[in-house]
Formats: sequence, C-alpha cells, structure tokens
Amino acid sequence: MYVAVKGGEKAIDNAHALMAKRRRGDTGIAELSVEQIRQQLPLAVDRVMNEGSVYDPQLAALALKQASGDAVEAIFLLRAYRTTLPRIGYSEPLDTEAMQIERRVSGTFKDLPGGQILGPTYDYTHRLLDFSLLADAQAEGAEEAAESADSKLAVEVEACPRVLELLNKEGLIENSRQPDEADQVPGDLTRQPISYPADRALRLQNLARGDEGFLLSLSYASMRGYGDSHPFAGEMRCGRVTVELVPEELGFPIEVGEVQLTECEMVNQFHGSKEQPPQFTRGYGLVFGYSERKAMSMALIDRSLRCEELGEQVLYPNQDQEFVLSHSDCVSANGFVSHLKLPHYVDFQSELEMIRRLRSESVEVQSGDNATEQPEAEA
Amino acid sequence: MAVVSDQLIAGFSDPVQDSQTLFRTLLKAMSEPGLIRQIEQPERAPGPLSLAGWAVALGMLDADTPLWLSRSLMQDSTLSSNLRFHCQSPLTACAAEADFALALAAELPELASFNQGCAEYPDRSATLIIQVEGISDEPDWTLTGPGIESERGLTIRGLPQAFTEQLIASRRRFPLGVDCIFVCAEQLVALPRSTQIRIGGA
Amino acid sequence: MSQTEGYNFAYLDEQTKRMIRRAILKGVAIPGYQVPFGGREMPLPHGWGTGGMQVTASVIGADDRLKVIDQGADDTTNAVSIRRFFARTAGVETTERTVEASLIQTRHRIPETPLSNDQIIIYQVPVSEPLRFIEPRETETRKMHALREYGAMQVKLYEDVARFGHIATSYDYPVLVNDRYMMSPSPIPKFDNPKMDRMPALQLFGAGFEKRIYAVPPYTSVKSLDFDDHPFEVQQWQESCAICGSDHSFLDEVITDDNGSKIYVCSDTDYCAGRVAASEEPQQ
Repeated sequence: MYVAVKGGEKAIDNAHALMAKRRRGDTGIAELSVEQIRQQLPLAVDRVMNEGSVYDPQLAALALKQASGDAVEAIFLLRAYRTTLPRIGYSEPLDTEAMQIERRVSGTFKDLPGGQILGPTYDYTHRLLDFSLLADAQAEGAEEAAESADSKLAVEVEACPRVLELLNKEGLIENSRQPDEADQVPGDLTRQPISYPADRALRLQNLARGDEGFLLSLSYASMRGYGDSHPFAGEMRCGRVTVELVPEELGFPIEVGEVQLTECEMVNQFHGSKEQPPQFTRGYGLVFGYSERKAMSMALIDRSLRCEELGEQVLYPNQDQEFVLSHSDCVSANGFVSHLKLPHYVDFQSELEMIRRLRSESVEVQSGDNATEQPEAEA
Repeated sequence: MAVVSDQLIAGFSDPVQDSQTLFRTLLKAMSEPGLIRQIEQPERAPGPLSLAGWAVALGMLDADTPLWLSRSLMQDSTLSSNLRFHCQSPLTACAAEADFALALAAELPELASFNQGCAEYPDRSATLIIQVEGISDEPDWTLTGPGIESERGLTIRGLPQAFTEQLIASRRRFPLGVDCIFVCAEQLVALPRSTQIRIGGA
Repeated sequence: MSQTEGYNFAYLDEQTKRMIRRAILKGVAIPGYQVPFGGREMPLPHGWGTGGMQVTASVIGADDRLKVIDQGADDTTNAVSIRRFFARTAGVETTERTVEASLIQTRHRIPETPLSNDQIIIYQVPVSEPLRFIEPRETETRKMHALREYGAMQVKLYEDVARFGHIATSYDYPVLVNDRYMMSPSPIPKFDNPKMDRMPALQLFGAGFEKRIYAVPPYTSVKSLDFDDHPFEVQQWQESCAICGSDHSFLDEVITDDNGSKIYVCSDTDYCAGRVAASEEPQQ
C-alpha cells in the first residue's frame, strides 16, 4: 500500500550537512578566513552591507563566507540579524561635503575646485585576465606597487564643495531643498510599511537597499528611451565621513566613528513647466563603501521617480513608484521566486481538476456541435 | 512633567510572558465582543487606574503610540509618571492625534473627537480604554455582529448616555469608527466597531 | 523548555510583537480588511511563511501547543522547518493532532477536522490583495476596498462563466467577509472555503512581503463570490482515499509508476491517520 512520504525532518538535517560540506569544499585547501574576505573581496562586502542595511564589514564578510559567496543569501543573513538589533540612537545627518575624499570624478567640468581625483578604480584597466594572480604567491611587484600607492594616497585631499552647488550659484539647477524647507525626520522602511505615494526620503531609503542589478537595468532602460532621462554625472565622490551622535544626557554631538561612502549626484535636463523656467534637475545616490555602479543607478532612478513632482508624465516602469519600490528588494524578490520550490500540491491539484473538467466539457460541446452539424451538411 | 521616581510601581513581573497573556486575553475579548475576561497580572495599578486598565496599558502601549488621557487621569502625577516610565508613550492633549485614549467614563468627550480612521485606512483609528463602574452580562444591551454566535447581553455601568448614543450611531459609518475596551477592577470587555448594539434585552 | 540563546521568546523583540499585536486587534475589529504593519525581516525568505510566522510569534505563549501544516501535511519540509523554529525559539510543545493544537499555522489548507472556539488558525498568505491580479496598483485597490467597489472581480468571474460555463478559479477563491470586505482566503483550494464561514475558531492571516495582517473573528459570515444562476460549488472526486477510504476529504493525486498510474490520498495527513487508527481499534 502507498504510504504518504514521510521524513521531512531527516531530509532537512541531511540537506544542512551536505551544504556545510559543499561550502567548505576540498579540505586539503586552507579555509578562507572572514578577515581575508573582508580585506580581499571588499566590493562584495560593500554590496552586502548596502543591501543588508548594516555598516559592518566584518559581519558582511562573515555572511559572505557562510553563504558560499552568494551575495543575495549573504544580504538575507545580514538583514535577518539586523532585525533583532535594538535601536540605541539616531545619528546626526552626515555631512558628505566634509568627506575625506579618496576618489572624485565629474563628467560635467574638466577642472573644478578640489580637482578630479581618479583614486582606486577599475575604470581604465584593460580587462585582461592577470594570470600572475593564478599563482599562489603574491604577484611580483604587487607589494611594491601597494607601497607606492600608499605614499601617494597619503596626500590627503581636503574636503571640497560639491560640483552641483557651483551650478546652483547661477540658478541653473534646482535647489536640493527649498530655502524655507525645515529639517524633516525621515520615515523608516524597516519599521513602518510603505504607503503610496512615498516621499523622496523613503524612496531613497528603498533604493539604497535595492538590488544593484535591478536598479542598474532599470536606469539603463531610462537612458535608452524608456524614460526621458538625459543625465550627466555631475559628481561622484568616494571617501570617509564622520558619524556623530547627540547623547540625550550630553546634549551636544560626539563622534562615534566614520563610514566609507560613495555619493553620486546626477544632473538631468528639465524642460520647465508653466510655473518653472527650464533648469537642470538632480538625482541623488548615496551608498556604503565603494559602490559606484549602485550609487549611479540609484541617482538615475531617483530622478526618474521624481517625474510626478516635476509635472512629467509617468510612461515607463522606471518612473512608476509602485513598480520600482515594490520590486527593488532582492531579499523579497528572491523569497517570492524561490517559494515556488515549496510544495503546491493542493493548488495544483485544484487546477488539475479544473483543467480536466474544462477540457472534458469542451470536448462534449464540440462533439455535440458535430452531431448537430452533420445532418445539416448532408441535407 | 517629569517622572517622579518615588511614585513608581512595578509593572508586569515577567514582561514577556505577562504581555503575551494580556494580549491573548484582549484578543479573545476583541474577537468575541461582549465576552467578559479577567486579567491575571499585574498586582498593583497606579493612581486611579484599574488593574485591567493598567494591564492593557503595559501590554499594548509604547513609544510609537500617542496617548490621550481624560482630565483627572492627566492630572494624576502617579499615573503619568508610571505611564512615562513603563510605556514611554508620548502624551497628547489633542484627542484626535491619539492612537490610544485612557479615560474615566464620566470624563469622556464627544466620540467624534477621536480619530475614526479614513476610508482607505480605517485601521488608523483610535482605541479607547474606558474605565467604567461595572461590567456584567445582564442584557442592558444586546450585541450582534462578527464574533458573536447569535447574540450576547452586556451591561456597562457608568457610561454617559450621550456617549452610548454616539457609539450606537457611529455603527452607520463602518468601517470607520473606534474600538472600545471597557475596564473595571480586574475585568475587561471589548466592543470593536463591528458590533451592533441594541438597547434592551433579547 | 529550551529557548535559543541571545534571542527573545519566539524570536521577535517585544516592541515588534506589540506593533503586530496592535495590527491584529485592528484586523479583528475590521473583519477582512488588510491592516498594513511594519513587517520585519525574518530568518526565512518572504513567500515561505514569514507573515504567518510573525503573527504566530506575536500570539504564541508558553502554554500553547502548536501545529504547523503545509498542503495539509505536518511532515512537508517547510512545515517541519517552521515547527522547529518555534520549538527552538519559544520552547513550546508541538503536535500533529488537530484536536490537540491551540494554534495552527497553515499554508494552503484548512484541516478536515472542524476547529473549535478555543483554537486559533493562522494562515500564511503570499499575496494578500484579492484584486491584485485585476489591478496591480495598491493605490487603486485601496480605493476599491474603501468604496466597496468590487465590480471588477464580478466581471472577471463572469467572463469565466461566459467562456467555460462556470467560474474557473479553483484556489485562492475570493470571499466577502461580513458582507463588507473582499478578502483573499490565501491559496487554499475552494474546497476549504465553506469551512471559513461562521467558523468557531479565530482566523488570522499574515502576509510577510505585502506587510499585511487581516482577520476573521469567530462566527463571522464568509461568503464565496458567485452568481444566482452559477452558485459557488466545491471540487468533488470520483475516487476515495487509497489509505483511509475517505470519500469526503480533499485528495492529492499521486503518480505511482512511469505509466502515469495514479492513486488519491488525503491531503490532511492527521485526518487520514486518525481514520486509519479508528478503523483498526475495534479489531484489537
């Protein structure tokens, strides 16, 4: 006699054991340490911190190790940990103008106060595999190169004004905030559900946590005619920014640390409206670590989501708040797609019964039609 | 008003388990309107507040729930000190801004002064915790609606006539409305907005 | 009783539980209305029961006895995983027997054994909005609920009638609660819909990704949408369960060989096992 499949508990235990073995790989090869991941895969760590919404390179590296290098799984691990953390306090707004700059580029001006600083980037590398990295030992000359780079970087760049503020002096670009606009306490997406339309602070929060690939492709589409975006990279800056907190009992700000950030301001055309003369508009992106692709995508989508407030028509998905904000999260998207792996026996059984019934009815109808048609054909 | 520390009393003895027990009591009450429940914890309540009223405050309020107090409760420093210390709820003088209201029945303002929610978000309405003089299952009122198998009798003593009338009339605006939790000593009973109230027995 | 070190009872922190509890009470007060709540990240993926789990975590107490089913069965991997989660984080007793459970978390089924007034059933919901596939925009569906404007769903169902002769929705079949709110019963087969109507147990629903909680209090009218000339009807089988012989429960089809031979068995494993045990008793 058939017996319903049992053994779910055992199967789960086995799956965990098999995964642990697969994660470790060949035990003849030295185990990768969390510190190695943190030091040597920093861009992967940065992505996990961004979408995981936790600034902690060590935990992000741990998550990557535990997730066998799967960024989405690592982000999920970090998010689930984050949920359980108490809120100790809220920092003062970060002053990115006071950033200790390590890299800064502008696509809009050849030279500008503070200058262009290329800093560390893959931008101008020729994408040729470096076979010297194949060797276990460090590539020859790498240490020397690192040392000489260190000495160059030692020339600390002074804080410098943002490029877009220079444009603003001429009134060619919109203000980043209205002169009479008071400080607003932004909402918190991780504690309150989003309701539409969402204000810009909430949208930016959502985008900062959003899936890099999703935002990249959407912003790509917005530049290819599926949108009215004609952007210039006004400024991209990477560096370290001080975090300050005002403890209740002290009443004045104290420094609690610093974070590495990438900030991007896009400049976009705006044809003007009845109320406003033509001027440039802004799109803004701010993310943890060295995450330029993400910061740029975020800034482009920020701008396309502003279309309603600027009186532009919503024509494409990248301009549609509900579409973008409710599908940007990799943890949610991954969960919902992957849940199809769960059993759906019951729903499927319901559909099976329905399809069989519809088919048999349609066969009956057809054969019934034929029966009545045939005599007519003969007549 | 600052917290006066010598007026502070203990809250739940086991906050995690006692909050859960209180919630289940309240959930049962809200799911089956008119069903009278007894609370188990805490053992003391601050100022003029009943044990059941204090239990609901401890279990349901926190820094995210603006709270409105009726006149004499607002003036009671023992109560406000304990509310601030245990619940951290921001106190508001404007009834319409409150998520929760804690009131002595005799001091209730017009029902309409509380937030009734809006058509798109009827859940953004106030929950009223009303301390009354007595609760029993005598059928002064006959209740019908979701959570009630056929009908249920309820008597609330000390509720102003005008408020009762407003409460009955407010049913016409469903899903807008407020949800009431009546408390007296260790007893509580809930009347969500979905419950129809008829004056008199069956 | 064992609890996981470093985590609160039932995983969620107390502030989060309070927020969810407040949302549950509002849901109970407005039957069938979807209450937005500050859904948290859970250590399981969205779509795998995080909504139901957050509701369970906020409701469950040390005295509860929890049953978790997926597709009607206690032993499907996801049911096992969620049951273990609460056994581990809340240290509560678990059971596979419907009658012994004080809380039942379910995905896609309502047990065949009628539930009693001292039980609570918690449904895992993937897409809480019954109108979502007619109108994807939250801003629009919210208006439709506010105005009780459900014509679009009637049209959709009637198109089925026009094409196929009857309504072709077989699961997640929309219902009207307390004659006011249209509600998704979650993807249960429509076979289970009649069990929801005036059920003595409290029914709670949690949608993790959608961040919505809703509820049906005991003894509340839950009506499956239909038309006067095309009344609502449920699935029926020619076959009986190959294990217990039941001719009135929801049956899963099981393919037994490469030729596609099949048998039918109860999807509710506890109900099936109970019938087998009862039939064996007199012989002992």
